[in-house]
Amino acid sequence: MIAVTIRDLNKQFGDHLVLDHINLRIEPGELFFLLGPSGCGKTTLLRHIAGFYYPDSGQILFDDQDVSRVPPHERGTGMMFQSYALWPHLTVAGNVAFGLEERRVPRAEITRRVDEALGSVGMNAYADRKINQLSGGQQQRVALARALVIRPRCLLLDEPLSNLDAKMRLQMRAEIRRVCKEFGLTAIYVTHDQKEALSIADRLAILDRGHLAQVGTPREIYRQPRTKAVADFIGETNFVEGRAVDPAGNAHEWRISTPLGDFMGFKADPNWELHVGEPVVLSVRPESWKLRASAPADGAPHNRVQGRIGRTVYLGEVAEYDFQPTGVGNGAAPLKMFELNPRFLEVADDTEITAFVAPEDVTVLHP
Amino acid sequence: MSRLFSILVYLLTGAFFVVFFLYPIAQTLRVAFIYQNRPTLVFVKEVFRNPIYVEGLRNAFLLAVGSTGAAFVLAMPLAWLGDRYEFTAKTTLTGLLLAPMVLPPFVGAIGIRKILGQQGSLNALLHDVGLLGHDRTVDWLGQNRFWGVVALNALHLYPILYLNVAAALANIDPAMEEAAENLGCTGWRKFFKITLPLIAPGVFAGGTIVFIWAFTELGVPLIFDYTRVTPVQIFYGIKDIGSNPFPYGLVAVMLGATTLLYALSRFLFGRRAGDLTMMAKATSRGGPRAVGRAGSLACAAAFGAVIFLAMLPHFGVVLTAFSRDWYGTILPVSWTLANFQAALGHSLTVPSIGNSLKYAAISTVFDALLGIAIAYVVVRTTLPGRQALDALAMLPLAVPGIVLAFGYLAMTQEGQPLAFLNPIKNPVPLLVIAYAVRRLPYMVRSASAGFQQTSVTLEEAAQNLGSTPFRALRRVTLPLITANLLAGGLLTFSFAMLEVSDSLLLAQKQENYPITKAIYELFNLLGTGRGVASALGVWAMAFLGVTILGASALLGKRMGALFRS
Repeated sequence: MIAVTIRDLNKQFGDHLVLDHINLRIEPGELFFLLGPSGCGKTTLLRHIAGFYYPDSGQILFDDQDVSRVPPHERGTGMMFQSYALWPHLTVAGNVAFGLEERRVPRAEITRRVDEALGSVGMNAYADRKINQLSGGQQQRVALARALVIRPRCLLLDEPLSNLDAKMRLQMRAEIRRVCKEFGLTAIYVTHDQKEALSIADRLAILDRGHLAQVGTPREIYRQPRTKAVADFIGETNFVEGRAVDPAGNAHEWRISTPLGDFMGFKADPNWELHVGEPVVLSVRPESWKLRASAPADGAPHNRVQGRIGRTVYLGEVAEYDFQPTGVGNGAAPLKMFELNPRFLEVADDTEITAFVAPEDVTVLHP
Repeated sequence: MSRLFSILVYLLTGAFFVVFFLYPIAQTLRVAFIYQNRPTLVFVKEVFRNPIYVEGLRNAFLLAVGSTGAAFVLAMPLAWLGDRYEFTAKTTLTGLLLAPMVLPPFVGAIGIRKILGQQGSLNALLHDVGLLGHDRTVDWLGQNRFWGVVALNALHLYPILYLNVAAALANIDPAMEEAAENLGCTGWRKFFKITLPLIAPGVFAGGTIVFIWAFTELGVPLIFDYTRVTPVQIFYGIKDIGSNPFPYGLVAVMLGATTLLYALSRFLFGRRAGDLTMMAKATSRGGPRAVGRAGSLACAAAFGAVIFLAMLPHFGVVLTAFSRDWYGTILPVSWTLANFQAALGHSLTVPSIGNSLKYAAISTVFDALLGIAIAYVVVRTTLPGRQALDALAMLPLAVPGIVLAFGYLAMTQEGQPLAFLNPIKNPVPLLVIAYAVRRLPYMVRSASAGFQQTSVTLEEAAQNLGSTPFRALRRVTLPLITANLLAGGLLTFSFAMLEVSDSLLLAQKQENYPITKAIYELFNLLGTGRGVASALGVWAMAFLGVTILGASALLGKRMGALFRS
């Protein structure tokens, strides 16, 4: 179990800066996710940790040891490749035994440990099979066993579930978390699937065009995105432009005036010195709106929008609405709203509806 | 692999090519274009002014056109049938289709003369069935032997075209043709508007190889005594290579013509055409259709007919080898093993077999090492200039063997820095190098194809688990590309065994003769020479056949797959 520290890492391919001053510390035993759209540099970062790339500048530390220039075969990481990279000329057992053979482990111990590793992923019965006789999910388990059997200093996973069907993915992601925790492994997991990351990560980092946009727990990232890019990438959201009016009692809570009315909201970045009159953008998740058929007479005159429901998409447990604000002049973009256990599907087209949102669900961001 | 290693490979192969490929050619061109330290076009102009040389060039060109055309007529329909239909004994027949490649065509020429000559089998057969009066004979090979050479070339070279066209057809996405059909374009229209343009690169690549091969073929015209053709003129010109600059001019013209053709094919079809698409791998198959019983037999018959034609020279060689006396009859009248006994006792033949094995083996090992190293650098590293290395390794395809061999002679003349390699003293080093250089492209192509088909992550996974890069290559990638390497090695070995022009030009000491040169010398001996030459040819055929079948059994693949992989 090691801590992985990345210090001011830069990497350029040709003229293109793929990794831009990355600073990151992954704690021992943590299941850490690198998440981002394709081309954001997440796989490149993982391959730096594995040793397939050397940084142009900066360092990678395993505990206190600088491994930046250590070749991959001396790093002792266990990697699961997106394509699994199982060797077709070897059997299942042969694939799993490979790393132990390279470490000159005695025969008898190899047999025992291969058995144990295959057991931990439930693949004992397939030890003598050829790789091409396995299904995608089985190959995935073998790849995991192969990476685990060498007792790696840290486990590296490069989109390991992207080749599986949806149901298998659900099953395997729970399995991967169980194995990591059972072995007490430091694991770094690359994916572009936010559900995967949110559901099993201890912490995650969002990469955006080569730089770290935000690092935090799944709840922090989802509820308090620091930038527009993060809010946009994780989940769905509505952006509403506005201007800072005044801070509320709490220094992080501000009143923002927008074409849709005033909103109270919290700024996500505590280091951001927001000034009165400064342009901002609000991020409001579609599921945080509460819909009411009639406007209550009393209540605060902010954090509410009047409008009509336009296009609807019914998904069973949830309905997605395009909510068209009224009374704010032409051209206001529709807001996306989700309603769990939908009730507003059947209302007449011209019925005015009020949507409310709690201040803690309104995030104030840099425009 | 480390960058240092890559750079080392780069420099070593580069140096090798400069010394044994560019330098001999440069040496030839220097004599052809520089006289008494001044540039001159006199010798090249003289080539075009001298009617004998002009006739030689014209004949070589016509031979190439005729041979390529004939090879197309043989190969195209078969490739199409093989791609589209399932029929009786298809695997065996497509395998046998490649069989003619086990014998150099000039040996076949000895056999075909026995069958199609004035006193040959065919005339005897026609006499017997009464289609030809007993007082008349037909010279089937034509007065000037032109068509004989064309036939021999075509029958030897059509497998190259067949493999190229078959691979190209197999690579067509079936949806391309289905889309055409969906829009109402079928039959011949579809073939010419969709299929042909799609396979054009493969067709052109194969056509270029065949054309250059036929254009520079030396052995067949020699056996047919067809002397007014450029390669033969060069061959006779080497006798006074030390004093006469005109052969140099002739070589320069031939080199210019082939280079132009090669450049044209690359220009027209980009990199693909220049690649040895003989090795191209079919990535997807449309799935051939079953045809009815009659259709099935018709397809098999078409294949059978071509195979029969292609094997005819081989039969001729075998029969000649076993005959005591064969003149004016369908089959020899009396049989003997004397030729084989003579071949086993003859001072020319016994060492020649050993020599050929030795040279071919050394050059194959050399090519394997060089080919794997070059392919690795080209496919797996990011070294700047690796494409140049790749292109360099492919260049021998564009340069005919006769030109290269001539260049070797030119660069080892008295007074040259490399004179110590002069084949008059010891031809072995140059023979081995010539074989190696000429066949390197096959090895590089098959190794690169292997590297390209094998994902680099397989090697990375091994490194991640503790293998050094070199061990990862040895434990993971090399086992996975064994088939490619074996196929490439086998092609290299067989072609080295059968190499004609290099051997005829360079093997200048009897004790160092390889098989092909020995056969040629025996053929020129009076008396039993031709019988013994044929016997040696049979030995060579049997040996290569066994090698190829053995390797295919080893691989658990059929022969056709072996040549394509």
